[in-house]
Amino acid sequence: MEEQPQLSERESLDLIAKMIQKARGSFHENGTSAILWGSVVAIAGLINFAEEYWHFYIGFDIWLIVLAALIPQIFISVKERRIRQAVPHDASFMNAIWLVYGISIFALLFYFNVVPGAADRSFKEAGNELLIKNTATGVVQHFTPYVFSHFSLLLILYAIPTLAIGIALKFRPMLIGGVLCYIFFVASCFTATVWDILLNALAGVFNWLIPGLILRSRYYKGRNC
Amino acid sequence: MFRDLNPILHSQLRLAVMSLLVSVREADFTFLKDKTNATAGNLSVQIQKLKDAGYIDVSKQFKDNYPQTTCKITTAGIKAFDEYVRNLRTYLAK
Repeated sequence: MEEQPQLSERESLDLIAKMIQKARGSFHENGTSAILWGSVVAIAGLINFAEEYWHFYIGFDIWLIVLAALIPQIFISVKERRIRQAVPHDASFMNAIWLVYGISIFALLFYFNVVPGAADRSFKEAGNELLIKNTATGVVQHFTPYVFSHFSLLLILYAIPTLAIGIALKFRPMLIGGVLCYIFFVASCFTATVWDILLNALAGVFNWLIPGLILRSRYYKGRNC
Repeated sequence: MFRDLNPILHSQLRLAVMSLLVSVREADFTFLKDKTNATAGNLSVQIQKLKDAGYIDVSKQFKDNYPQTTCKITTAGIKAFDEYVRNLRTYLAK
């Protein structure tokens, strides 16, 4: 077997620095997941905005494509795990933050769908009914409650993982994306739902699509070096 | 006062492997081979020495029908590496 060359103290320290740098340089996120989710949220938001703004319906709830995007995401995750040769220290933190985000977003969607019906039932059980009056016609009819400005709540949730990762990894595009989400959230509190939907689409672009494209370009640059 | 440098770590390939493993949570044999430019045989021997010293954990499994060796630095390994770097600094400070 080959003899191991003895190193001087300076050579040892240089070797340590070189290897640590090599290890760190091996982890270039390719941005595929960010591009996927950014595109999905942007497309769903833009189509939904168009539906509301120009008053047409495409025949199904476009936001369902968010659920459909889980399928390619599973393939992407499995493929990345298969080709991965080393696991960075921050992998557990990153996985945990995206997992918690995923659970939270689906919990919030569940809330949006369940709470109005539950509120309506609880009013009925208490012997009450919510009514709404059209001030122009004077017609009074039953009013089913719903979560007001629910797209604003989604904007807050979008900001959490992106801003946390942007700060932790000192990745400016995600940091900017996260901050923009909070700005969009404040703006959405004062705008009509149709504009909130557009802000959601913009959040998809700034929060994930642009950072994802930047990651992808860095990944290819890193591979070519 | 200069302390003796740990002989297990004070060797080119073993030190390179430890430096890589301290920077990641775990790494495949292929990753270590690529980064160190070592031959598979030599790397296997040095990995075994680090394992015998209790500095790394080595697990073997099959991935897509191919054997896969994964290495991970142990707490004892981190302690030894940290001490080695501190001792190196005392030499360089003279």
